[in-house]
Amino acid sequence: MSAYLVSMATYAGFFMILALALNLQWGLTGMVNFGIAGFYALGAYTSGLLSAKAGWPLGLSIPMAIAAGFAAGGLVALLSMRLREDFLAIVTLGVGEVIRLIVLNEDQITEGPRGLRIEAQPFQSLMAPENYPVFYLGFVAFFVAITYWICERIRKAPMGRTLRAIREDDVVAGVLGKNVFRHRIQIFAIGGGFMGLAGALYAHYSQNISPEVFMPTVAMFIWMSVIVGGAGNNRGLLIGAGTVIMFLEGTRFFGDVLPWLDAETMSSVRIITIGLLLIVTLRLRPRGLLPEPKFTYTRDKIAG
Amino acid sequence: MNLQIFVNALVNAALIAPPAMAFSLLFGVLKFPNFAIGGYITLGAFAAYTFNVPLGLPLPLATLGAMLFTGFVVWLAHVWVFKPMQDQSAVTLLVVSIALTLILESVVRLFFSADVRGFDIPLERPWKFWGARITREQVEIIACAVVLATGLHVLLRHTRIGRAMRAVADNPMLAAIRGVDAAKITALTTVLCGAIFGLTGVFAGLDLVIEPLVGWNLTIPIFAAAILGGIGSPYGAILGALLLGLAEELTILVLPSTYKIAVGFVIIAIFLLLRPQGLFGTAEIKK
Repeated sequence: MSAYLVSMATYAGFFMILALALNLQWGLTGMVNFGIAGFYALGAYTSGLLSAKAGWPLGLSIPMAIAAGFAAGGLVALLSMRLREDFLAIVTLGVGEVIRLIVLNEDQITEGPRGLRIEAQPFQSLMAPENYPVFYLGFVAFFVAITYWICERIRKAPMGRTLRAIREDDVVAGVLGKNVFRHRIQIFAIGGGFMGLAGALYAHYSQNISPEVFMPTVAMFIWMSVIVGGAGNNRGLLIGAGTVIMFLEGTRFFGDVLPWLDAETMSSVRIITIGLLLIVTLRLRPRGLLPEPKFTYTRDKIAG
Repeated sequence: MNLQIFVNALVNAALIAPPAMAFSLLFGVLKFPNFAIGGYITLGAFAAYTFNVPLGLPLPLATLGAMLFTGFVVWLAHVWVFKPMQDQSAVTLLVVSIALTLILESVVRLFFSADVRGFDIPLERPWKFWGARITREQVEIIACAVVLATGLHVLLRHTRIGRAMRAVADNPMLAAIRGVDAAKITALTTVLCGAIFGLTGVFAGLDLVIEPLVGWNLTIPIFAAAILGGIGSPYGAILGALLLGLAEELTILVLPSTYKIAVGFVIIAIFLLLRPQGLFGTAEIKK
């Protein structure tokens, strides 16, 4: 039971990093990304393949996963220059699916549906195996904290104001002399880097990655986390990601309480519950659980 | 061999064109890309299956029942989910519509499990001509699609209701000023589109199989066809469906068939970048 809670919290950590990244791209800057699963897969397979097949140390392979996500994010951001946001949604969804299809089909490299086995785990040799899950939870929590800190810094910095301006009206931001194009590419790349990081952390945690993990539903759950938590509010979406994971994983406990439900029924009930969670939240609290705070120009805010 | 490619493309197009037209219509009225169509199509397929196999109704009657049922569900979804949220951004609504597809799909899974099913129809040998094969059901699908497209054309161009639909899609406020009851027309459009998605579910069940993912697998080709033809242009959607069907069949010649779904996405991406208004859409100034 407690081992299960630790693993649930670790998964919540991956979701939180992904949700923070999406909030940076969409909540703050207004750029839609439905290809989250693709960036997640890119990070997982970059670090996984480099360590399992090329024998790179994790100290190099995990940064490479971040770099891969960063580069892919920058490239996808180029698309955002010409596309309306709802069309960008479809194109980014396509990018995610194409990445998954490549992983699935190029199985002589990625092992495809058989799954890629990854032995290496960070700081594995330093502790007893029974303590390792708790350590890894701390390891993930450390990266969640760093991601949160960077995202909050960006939000509060003058750059954050520019990004909100781009979100609200990119033409006005451009007229005011802000380089909209550069900001968009930067933010999409940074978000992509975080998603790559989440993927690498996941890969070395589960030690076995296969394409079915990176279905578009992952993107869906992250979007739900951000919308339920409150777009634009980093603290809100940490709560959102926690809630989504709780509904997604915690409902497994119903199986212990209601033993007559078989696994397939349970998974259907789980998905229905999580879908209803989104709809009910939006009906009752249209701006999410913790809405983005209104920006007020008080004296100490300007100073600090 | 070569003729077979065109036959397959034609069947594919007949399957995709009607829902692409409905998607276009729905987009015009509701102003967001509705991913819930996957769930609606699945629902239509399973409703027809329920009427046809366990209840023993003949297929045409079961199809009609499925169309009415899906029309009703799409209207309910509009009233309970999308209408109260109309102030949300298009992207939020898009996420909600994906959630709705997941819910509908899971409800179907809950009642029917993930088994693959088929309608209660006699198996027949496909017809052969000049080396190509086509089944009776495929011919019926193509015929129905042609009738449906013509019917929609007449409805949109030559009836009061159709004119009102186009007016609401174009400019709801202006339509309201001219005495069109926009809320009623919107509700009517959702029912009409719902019925078309139900019919697509039946077609998909005839040509492919009946399983919970049948709608989701069609969603991207439908989007691609609608975007290719110019979103909001129902006629473009037909041509879009034909081109997409052809492109999908042709890629199978060079790429493994598992990449088929990627073709839809790549076409969407290229088209949106080079010609965002589609083949027949009118250019609009945006951003």
